[in-house]
Amino acid sequence: MKRENKSKDFTFISKTLFFPKKGILAIGDLHLGYDSMIKDQGINLLFNQLEETKKEIEIIIKRIKAIYRLKKIILLGDMKHHFHFQKQEVSDLRNFLRFLEKHVPKEDIILIRGNHDTFTLSDYKLNDFYIEGDIAFTHGEKDFLELYDKQIKTIVTSHVHPAVLICDKINIKREKYKCFLVGKYKKKQFIIVPSFFSITEGTEISEYKKGESYQQLIPKNKLKSFETYVVGRDDVYHFGKYGKLIG
Amino acid sequence: MTIVSEAVQYSREEIEKILHPLVREWFFSKFQDFSESQKFGVMNIHNKQNILISAPTGGGKTLTAFLSILNQLVSLSEKNKLEKKVYCIYVSPLKALNNDIHKNLIEPLEEINELAKSKGINLQKILVGLRTGDTTASEKAKMVKNPPHILITTPESLAIVLTTKKFVESFQDVEYCIIDEIHSLGNKRGSFLSLNVERLNSIAKTIPVKIGLSATIEPLEEVAKYLVGIDEDRKVKIAKVHSHKKLDLDVLIPTANLILENKPHIHMYRLIHDLVKEHKTTLIFTNTRSATERIVNYLKDKFPVDYTDENIAAHHSSLSKGHRFAIEENLRQGNLKVVVCSTSLELGIDIGYIDLVILLGSPKASSRALQRVGRAGHKLHETAKGRFIVLDRDDLIECSVIQKEMYEARIDKIHFPKNALDVLSQTIFGMAISQHWKLEDLLNLIRKSYCYQKLTKEDFLSVISYLSGEYDLEKDKVYAKIWYDKDTKEIGKRGKLARVLYLTNLGTIPEESFVTVKLQTGEKIGVIDESFMNRMHKGDVFVLGGSKYAYLYTKGMNLTVKPAPDRNPTIPSWFSETLPLSFDSALEISKFRKEMRKRFEKNLDKEKIKEFIRKYTYTSMEVSEEIYEYFYQQFHFSEIPDIDTITIEKYTDERDDKKYILVNSMYGRRVNDALSRALAYLMGAKGSAKRDVEVGISDRGFYLSSENTKIEKAFEQINSKNIEEILKQAIEKTDVLTKKFRHCATRGLMILRTYKGATKSIKKQQMKSHFLISSVKKISKEFPILKEAKREVLEDLMDIESTKLVLDWINSGKVKLSYNHVKLPSPFSLNLILQGHLDLMKIEDKQDFLQRMHKVYIQEIARRQDPEEFSYEEFLKDQER
Repeated sequence: MKRENKSKDFTFISKTLFFPKKGILAIGDLHLGYDSMIKDQGINLLFNQLEETKKEIEIIIKRIKAIYRLKKIILLGDMKHHFHFQKQEVSDLRNFLRFLEKHVPKEDIILIRGNHDTFTLSDYKLNDFYIEGDIAFTHGEKDFLELYDKQIKTIVTSHVHPAVLICDKINIKREKYKCFLVGKYKKKQFIIVPSFFSITEGTEISEYKKGESYQQLIPKNKLKSFETYVVGRDDVYHFGKYGKLIG
Repeated sequence: MTIVSEAVQYSREEIEKILHPLVREWFFSKFQDFSESQKFGVMNIHNKQNILISAPTGGGKTLTAFLSILNQLVSLSEKNKLEKKVYCIYVSPLKALNNDIHKNLIEPLEEINELAKSKGINLQKILVGLRTGDTTASEKAKMVKNPPHILITTPESLAIVLTTKKFVESFQDVEYCIIDEIHSLGNKRGSFLSLNVERLNSIAKTIPVKIGLSATIEPLEEVAKYLVGIDEDRKVKIAKVHSHKKLDLDVLIPTANLILENKPHIHMYRLIHDLVKEHKTTLIFTNTRSATERIVNYLKDKFPVDYTDENIAAHHSSLSKGHRFAIEENLRQGNLKVVVCSTSLELGIDIGYIDLVILLGSPKASSRALQRVGRAGHKLHETAKGRFIVLDRDDLIECSVIQKEMYEARIDKIHFPKNALDVLSQTIFGMAISQHWKLEDLLNLIRKSYCYQKLTKEDFLSVISYLSGEYDLEKDKVYAKIWYDKDTKEIGKRGKLARVLYLTNLGTIPEESFVTVKLQTGEKIGVIDESFMNRMHKGDVFVLGGSKYAYLYTKGMNLTVKPAPDRNPTIPSWFSETLPLSFDSALEISKFRKEMRKRFEKNLDKEKIKEFIRKYTYTSMEVSEEIYEYFYQQFHFSEIPDIDTITIEKYTDERDDKKYILVNSMYGRRVNDALSRALAYLMGAKGSAKRDVEVGISDRGFYLSSENTKIEKAFEQINSKNIEEILKQAIEKTDVLTKKFRHCATRGLMILRTYKGATKSIKKQQMKSHFLISSVKKISKEFPILKEAKREVLEDLMDIESTKLVLDWINSGKVKLSYNHVKLPSPFSLNLILQGHLDLMKIEDKQDFLQRMHKVYIQEIARRQDPEEFSYEEFLKDQER
């Protein structure tokens, strides 16, 4: 049922994006520490985000390794949730990186800085963007001139947590799903990766408002002409253009 | 176990003998004789007997309770033997007690003091302390230092003082505990109070005498047991004081023909206006808050000369406290001509002289109707005058039958929630703050509460596990509220913040936030639950108060809509402000239907049947005409459903090819809710394609709409033994469970409303509750708070016990199912579609739904050959057409 173009050099594996030829796995916003924020508000949430995240990534890596070679892992930013420094979060992140290091060498784990990522690590560098061949990876909140270099054909971002609402014909049953958005903007192919963290599905484009936290590279109207790939439990489904999907 | 017996009445002479001369003299300076409830109560209380006094409003219950106690305190104070301790605790669920207490306690005390002074007798001062949520910190501090001899409090404040060490010391010699308005405790607040009364019992050196005061209520024996709790040596007497108030009731229809009249509302206001003019002070009950405002505005608008801000007012729970007090005071002063209220003036507080009570729409139960009408002619021997005004034929029958029940003194039964684990968690946490407990002692104490007498050890231990943090994922157990030592089997307080957390988060009344729904013109239509609004998007159509509206935009707590009479709702709504019809009254209506059916089958002539209607329901000529017509149409269209017959109609709406199954099951919404969801679940889950089923639930029946119309099969599969399991699965994915879970999580202190100094908005609580419930489900299906949410849905919101009864009737053949295929819904069924509270039973898995929708998409692509031109939205519209 998958509708992706075979000639394209990327594939969707659950909530993540994989480039088979290059062996690069790109993972969207993790927001580690979101669970502790909820707990801090006085809600006894019986959910361990770090362990659940590790479990999910483990399965994805297994799926990749069964067919391809995994060379690099890129975290697309917003790896942690709180804007201010929080000891627990950074220790969760370290724990998570140690876990990734079991699968690829340390130097092949690339961290992109997101707007939530206000920390430093002694053994990792935080990048504004990362370029490999004709693909650029960036968080998607800020623009960088380098992204629009001629040699770059594809830009991969996250940040906006794209999601769609799907309704049936009588419009009574409706469910929200995470999705990828793929389309052209400024002569580049953009791929927007959904958030990885599972506490919320994400945000529909129509819900984007003006203001800092919604600031991103592509205008809202333009996003509506992007192709939508919806993340299901077993597969990722193509649903056509976003704008036509949501009307 | 607890022994219940009937109280005997004592003579005036006997009671006089025991009264202190001052009290006696004071009493007879005010009253000629003891009232009936005093003849029952005063001696029994004096003799330290537990007693439940059930009497209609105006029976002087409160003074009955206080008279013996005042008598004892006056005797002590004359001998200078009054000690610095609490002798009596009075608990009432009402906050607005001030006036009642003033009249029944403070005034008598002052007058007795005066009397003593005039005789040169020196009395020690008898202190009365009021402790509610409104009591200031300095007053509280004063009370701790100088405990009142009589403490007036609410269930919540009682729990607080029971957790205050200094206060507890002065409770050791409490001799009396009065619980007022017991009839309003058939809810979790009642469970909460019953546990805290047991806490009090365990603190006091001897168990205090319990005095329960209640309006007319059934079953008294159970309420009496609730009052004193369950234990081997506990005894309680029941005093049932009959009403000597004559009832003057009538059911009115504002226009000659309810069906043909286009604008019945205009006639209704005219009728209200006429009635108000004929009386001095009129109290109008409306059932909903929004209707309350609407009626006041309309009357002011249409009759500006007669109604001004000075003589008409709306009274409901959303108004500020100050505002409500002002209205109540004005009412007592006789300044108001009309007060319109939802349910807020149903209870206790003295509201002065009312000579007419109007009930707009059905009060849904005879006990509530009596309580409301009882507000008129407050004095015991006066006549209580009540008028039902109805605009709808189903309501007409309902009100007529309720009127019959009122005249014949048939009262529906109160339901106390049993084994509520959220309230239990909260209470155990509070108890652990005061002292260490051996688990066995704790369980024994809890089981003495009527509401927890059958608590299983497993449930008790799972609450202990939850509170001690065993379900928590982290090792540090940040959320553990108590410590639990498995070796010594003891529990106790954990953490320095425990007391603060408990005091700032206790209580059982769920917070709700409402959004006002308005038209573009600014006209207010009603209110909806905030969580309901959160699920809506621009353009959605939903039902409110029987009409359909489309969502335009929101601004703050206002939702602007436009009428959308021709569109189908896109948002199911189970929310309802309206009260459910009691099971007992529903059965009465079914009996009446049976009587009517028999007469139509015998071909009796119209006048004979109308005469029967008037005699049976005590109604007028016009009413009997209207009821006759309604039954006539139903009888000749298909079949009259009755106490022995549930009629089921299968019908396809040709406009949109929607298939309906209409079930006329007159059992009240609480039973229909359970029955319809269980059937919908079975129908939706059968076959290869699991599909959602639309459910519309009302008091008189329900409808189901789905592709599968084989309800016969579902009825065959369901019985009183398996319904509980089926329902537990059926409600798994419903919004109602998520909502109840949020309430239970807040009561069980899984969600803290106030934490680290900040109070959470309900919106924030709601956002998280969805995720919270799914993470809890992963941990354990038996997690106590989840288990409790399911219990609350099944037993309190729905009525699983009565549903089992109905299923037994069906399976034994006592109740027949009669199926009909119809071209149009019968007259009785039509309102099931129009008035049913819609919900969607989610049976199809979220992932299966995605796959199905994707298949639809692919097929469409293949059909059009040109994916670029494909519009999903248009495609949906095509399908709709």
